[in-house]
Amino acid sequence: MLKLSNISMEFGALKTLNDLSIELKEKEIVSVIGPNGAGKTTLFNVITGLYKPTSGSVKLGSQEMLGLSPAEINRAGIARTFQNVRLFLNMSVLENVMSATFGRTRSGLFSSALGLKRSRKEEAEVKEKAQELLKFFGTRLTGYRWDQPAFSLSYANRRRLEIARALATDPKVLLLDEPAAGMNPKETQEITEIVGSLRAERGLTILIIEHDMHVVEGVSDRVVALDYGVKIAEGDFDHVATHPDVVEAYLGKGSTATK
Amino acid sequence: MSNLGIGTDEWVAQHEERLASQSPLKKLFARIPLWAKWGSFFLIAFLFGMLSDNQYLLRVGVNLALFIMLSYGLNIVVGYAGILDLGYVAFYGFGAYGYALLSSEQLGQHWPTYVTVPFITILTAILGYLISLPSRRLFGDYLAIVTLFFGQVFVQLVLASDNITFPWADDYVDITAGSNGIPGLDTFNLFGYIFDDIKDYYWLLMVIVLVLTVAIHRVSATRIGRAWRTVREDALVSEVMGVSVKRVKTLAFVAGATIAGFAGTIFAGMQTSVFINGFDLPLMVMIYAAIILGGSGSLAGALIGAIIMTILPELLRVPNYGAILFFVALLLTFFVLSKKFSRFLIYVVSIILIGFAFQLAMKAIGVTQANAEDWVVGFTGDLLKNWLFVPENRILWGNFAFILLLSLIAFFSIAKPIWKHVLLPFIGFTAIFLWEVRLIADVSTTRQLIIGAMLVVLMILRPQGLFGQTRVEIL
Ligand SMILES: Nc1ncnc2c1ncn2[C@@H]1O[C@H](COP(=O)(O)OP(=O)(O)OP(=O)(O)O)[C@@H](O)[C@H]1O
Ligand SMILES: [Mg+2]
Repeated sequence: MLKLSNISMEFGALKTLNDLSIELKEKEIVSVIGPNGAGKTTLFNVITGLYKPTSGSVKLGSQEMLGLSPAEINRAGIARTFQNVRLFLNMSVLENVMSATFGRTRSGLFSSALGLKRSRKEEAEVKEKAQELLKFFGTRLTGYRWDQPAFSLSYANRRRLEIARALATDPKVLLLDEPAAGMNPKETQEITEIVGSLRAERGLTILIIEHDMHVVEGVSDRVVALDYGVKIAEGDFDHVATHPDVVEAYLGKGSTATK
Repeated sequence: MSNLGIGTDEWVAQHEERLASQSPLKKLFARIPLWAKWGSFFLIAFLFGMLSDNQYLLRVGVNLALFIMLSYGLNIVVGYAGILDLGYVAFYGFGAYGYALLSSEQLGQHWPTYVTVPFITILTAILGYLISLPSRRLFGDYLAIVTLFFGQVFVQLVLASDNITFPWADDYVDITAGSNGIPGLDTFNLFGYIFDDIKDYYWLLMVIVLVLTVAIHRVSATRIGRAWRTVREDALVSEVMGVSVKRVKTLAFVAGATIAGFAGTIFAGMQTSVFINGFDLPLMVMIYAAIILGGSGSLAGALIGAIIMTILPELLRVPNYGAILFFVALLLTFFVLSKKFSRFLIYVVSIILIGFAFQLAMKAIGVTQANAEDWVVGFTGDLLKNWLFVPENRILWGNFAFILLLSLIAFFSIAKPIWKHVLLPFIGFTAIFLWEVRLIADVSTTRQLIIGAMLVVLMILRPQGLFGQTRVEIL
């Protein structure tokens, strides 16, 4: 489904990604782990077209993503969330989700201005779709919250809203950047379930960056560990979590010596 | 706010409270449906058009409608899409000059109105598109500077194009008449119906404003409008979420330019003359003031802002109206600042006493008093002439008072509460002195001062503007 081959990314002399290859099969959930600064977010930025890699290729199905604009990549079927939650803060909850249907809808300036039937129909559909997506998170983002500005939401709700917004672009592949960061254990557990049901109900292929090992263990079919932009281990959770290089990357050289 | 439990957020905690704390007036206002609010504006405009034959008032109405078009257009560009365009007014000028050149003896062209107006409007749209090309890669300050530059280029081009020599011709060619402006334009003539009365323009503009209101309201509530706002909020995320940011920005820019250009053609036809200084920065500032005052990003705000910015200067033209406005504003300010009625009375009495003390002091040091006929302009002057001591050298004293007032206000803003109470009566007296001695007679300065003061006060009390939504930038 999503195939990254030999990606290298340099910032000046710094090699942030080094000849990295990852492949995701359809409906697979893959976690990317690694210490701070390993290059995980950079990887997402490359996939979504925000950064241009020095070399390599990103393929969605058979279509090459490199060279497309971020908007085109999104419309091809890749959506993401951001590590530092970037919502449209001064727009309502519902509008945040509705705005992400832009690439899938057609109404132009004039058909909206004239209030043409197809424009009104599309608007109603978009609204219903957004409400439907928000119901994914139970009652937290429904009802009177629809019309609240996004800035009024709690942190956890913002993260949920960001996922709903990403879903509104009708992605095939979803990239989640630390969806459980800053959440309490209960909310974290819930995120784990949600990620699972996103695949089950919507057939999504998911690449997820996560530091919380409970989440990683709970959701992943496969885990990829990065350090200094290099893939140091890949396989099922137990394999990667006990891999000596991974332990070393997380705990430092000294700890392997005492092992 | 203080005792929030875990798992609740601020908004939920305040929800009931917020609903309950709304003032009854606000609740009532919220219950009036949207169409009724807008409808009442257009109904008043309609009735006025039907009933009034006052040329002056109708002209104010026409100017208001043109101003509304401009602030609607700028609101799309700045308010919705967040593109800081400081050259916007050049599109208005372009529309006006475009119409002028094709409808006057300047180039000997007299195109029919139904061709000129659409042609020039489309041309403005194309110009807007071309200017958006280099601009759309830029953000914020950079964009502001580049667009400011384009605006000034337009002004300079018009000024310089009265004297162009081509290599193949001996004589120079005069295209725009430079700073002389172009007089004697054809008025609108639509299929034989000649717009020879200001009322014709009034009705035309009313229909246009009505159509624009509906159209912009619809667009802003649907796909394109949402995309504009996402670009304003966070262009990078917007792009990642599948919005073609460049295209959407261009669309906003062109839409704004088109409305301005269209308004320009009507202005030229109505005025039957164009002068370049009407399309320069002062007007730009007024339009910005209107949408900031009304609340950037709100259509109703753009309308209210335009109304205030059109009506207020007209009111201030008449000294008595200006005086009423000034004294009401002054008393209101004092009333709000004093919080208690008793304190308010103390302030007023203090101001009166300061006035008498000032009179005694001036007489004691032997300053000659000006004749009342020399300075009394409005009825307030009549009322105050035995209390207010006006020295003979009014201009000089006025200037002193101005500096003193600014210093007092500056000092007031940083003073301890107790000093504020002492300072306030002095500020009040100085303001009254300044008003009667200089401002009431010097209309154009006063207008700018009052508008400036209003903006400052509003930005302190209500930073989001009258109709704007509360906004947060970073959390
Ligand atoms: N635009 C940039 N310019 C220069 N250096 C960058 C840029 N973006 C990322 N880097 C560098 O690349 C490295 C990897 O950063 P990245 O954000 O991908 O790490 P990460 O694995 O997501 O870390 P974390 O777990 O803290 O989120 C860091 O050293 C960072 O400083
Ligand atoms: Mg990261």
